[in-house]
Amino acid sequence: MIRRILIAFAFALVPLAHQVMAHHNMTAIFDFNDRVTVTGTLSKVDWRNPHIYLTVDVKSAGGAMETWQAEGPSPTWFRIRDIGKDDFANSMGKSFEIELSRARDKTPMGLIRTITLPGGRVVSACPQNC
Amino acid sequence: MSNTYRKAIAFAVVAVCLALPIRASAQELSKEATDKAAAEARAKRNAQTFELNASTIVFYDRTGKRIGGPLGERAMYQGAIISPDGSRVAVVKADLPNESADVFVLDIKSGAITRITTSARTEFVQAPIWSPDGSKVAYVAMRKGQEGIYMRPASGQGAEELVWKNPGAFIFLSDWSTDGKTLSFTFSDMKGGTLYTLPLAGAPDRKATEITKTELQLFGSRFSPDGRFLAYTVVDKTNKGEIFVRPADPAASGGPWQVSDGAIGIPFWRRDGKELYFLARDRSVTVVDVTTAPSFSFTNRRVLFKTQGAVPEIVRAISADGERFLVVPPPRGPQLQQLTIFDRTGSVLQKIGEPGLYSQPSFSPDGTRLLVVKNDIQSAQADYWTIELASGTPTRLTNDTFGKQAALWSPDGKHIYYSSFRNGDFPIYRRLSDGTGGEEFVFQYTPGAFLGPSDISPDGKWLICDAGGYLITVPLAGDAKSRKEVETLRDEFLNTIGRLSPDGTFMAYRSDEAQPERGEIYVRPFKASSAETGDGKWRLSKDGVVAMLHWRADGKEVFWRGLNLESNDLNVISVEVTTSPTFSVGTPKQLFKLPGPIAGNLGNISRDGQRFVFAVNVSAPAPTTAPR
Repeated sequence: MIRRILIAFAFALVPLAHQVMAHHNMTAIFDFNDRVTVTGTLSKVDWRNPHIYLTVDVKSAGGAMETWQAEGPSPTWFRIRDIGKDDFANSMGKSFEIELSRARDKTPMGLIRTITLPGGRVVSACPQNC
Repeated sequence: MSNTYRKAIAFAVVAVCLALPIRASAQELSKEATDKAAAEARAKRNAQTFELNASTIVFYDRTGKRIGGPLGERAMYQGAIISPDGSRVAVVKADLPNESADVFVLDIKSGAITRITTSARTEFVQAPIWSPDGSKVAYVAMRKGQEGIYMRPASGQGAEELVWKNPGAFIFLSDWSTDGKTLSFTFSDMKGGTLYTLPLAGAPDRKATEITKTELQLFGSRFSPDGRFLAYTVVDKTNKGEIFVRPADPAASGGPWQVSDGAIGIPFWRRDGKELYFLARDRSVTVVDVTTAPSFSFTNRRVLFKTQGAVPEIVRAISADGERFLVVPPPRGPQLQQLTIFDRTGSVLQKIGEPGLYSQPSFSPDGTRLLVVKNDIQSAQADYWTIELASGTPTRLTNDTFGKQAALWSPDGKHIYYSSFRNGDFPIYRRLSDGTGGEEFVFQYTPGAFLGPSDISPDGKWLICDAGGYLITVPLAGDAKSRKEVETLRDEFLNTIGRLSPDGTFMAYRSDEAQPERGEIYVRPFKASSAETGDGKWRLSKDGVVAMLHWRADGKEVFWRGLNLESNDLNVISVEVTTSPTFSVGTPKQLFKLPGPIAGNLGNISRDGQRFVFAVNVSAPAPTTAPR
């Protein structure tokens, strides 16, 4: 967050600095204006830098199963907030709700905004991913 | 027990702990103690950040003469904008402990400060603008994860009003039309930029209107006083900014007109609509005479003034009457850098040339040359140069506007490798270190993902790179476009700065494994055949590490820049190691400390570990002014 503040401060000074803010790949891959909430079963957790990935099996309106991949902040981001891999690993096979900024190519993939764990705990990736 | 005996035992315990391939010692502490230590460290880091960045506000007139300030307490200011009547400044101040930023109004005459917003932790506000009558301030705020445009009375009284909920993020609010009916804002990302206007009528379902969309980044859109035109900044794919003007009505014909010949910052109109101001690339305040009726035209582009000295200050905002120019001076005054070589005790061995705008000095493998980044204010470029240490002869290597970082010498000293920021990507290039020839593409990783070289294997076959928290290795043989990286070290920890031992059998790196927000140095075996890490892990540091990780050429000593939470001074740490027959590590010790702030980077240390080069900050002459 501090990094974002510092970058925002640089952004105001010169246009060249704005390029720095836009360097991460999130806006290239994900459309922040296209949000979707999916509910399904957590089937896989990839807990590695620089982003965690959660795989969620979602039943579509037509009844077909669709596998969604959700990209989150880094494991360190969660560590600082007292959230560990176990918080997700213990939710494997359980119902899981994720709000995502959807991939621009419309594949079932998105950038995590918020996650509601089976116990009701809400984990927000904002403002990092918002 | 005598003190000496206690110290001996403590010394032995520390040495044993450091030598063992261990998990983080911090994990042995209670969670409460760990949290407390982390909070204290964070507070100290915030204090250092504040000390390095906090400043006040001053004003210049049209001739470049300082006429006011300092205004406001020392703070980290951003987005300052002068009220339409010129009496106040709306500005964003960062609150580092709260990880937030808020808008304040500063009265220029009395110095009175009025808080406009109060953000929750991790929320922030940016890009304030004034209503044309000066009664309100509008701004972009993140509220509960949702970005929006809000407004509030400039008196600080009354509720915050949501003007428009942004379905996305990262908009830059730029202006409020003189008739009070419309806002302008921009959105830019790697896909390009879009300029919007937002009619204030029609609440609560206001609809933004797209005025123009480009593949380039654009921002800072400002209405002409008659509301018929918008001036804005466009940054092209080579990082060059220009000011354009176009009709505010997307259906209107004409334009866009380019009014600048290189620009930084955002444009400002004079309230009578007859002058348009912007900052040229060399930071000079530039003005063009303009008319907006019957159509837009401009003439007579000229420099109003530029603060003189080695480091001209940057004008950030201009009053509507074109008489007052707002500057946030650098916190420690103008600074240049003196390239200076030190010995192992921190004593000066050699000063190279005159002070200049230098950074990232790096010894060539044979120790006879330096690679440096040299900033040129005139061209707003940062380029690589080499300097012969014996003669002081400089040789220019690059000449472009792209951002560059993390340069490395090849083991034979013939090439430099560097990461270059281009169109949102970080491709790696190399070029000959003698200044001849062009650049040669080396590798492109995932589009948009950061990639910085951190080492080249002694046999020249592998390029180790930091991929933003994990380490990859790129084979340097074969066709550049078909190179495929190896994930050398990727796990749940933030692993950076992979540096191979001189015999290529071990890799030292920085990791936050022991404690988040704090790095330590670890060593693992490195398999030169596959670029993978082997079994075993040793921790070298114990008190935190920032940068400068370096192996001595004989492989018996490792250096780094130690974490210093008490001040911005630079402390150089080293530890003795052996890599054969097995890896072992001694006790880290501080070699020397230099008064900061001084940046540390790869290449600061000569291969033999006897010389240390830094770009040492020295005060530059204070700005004077040069009239037009």
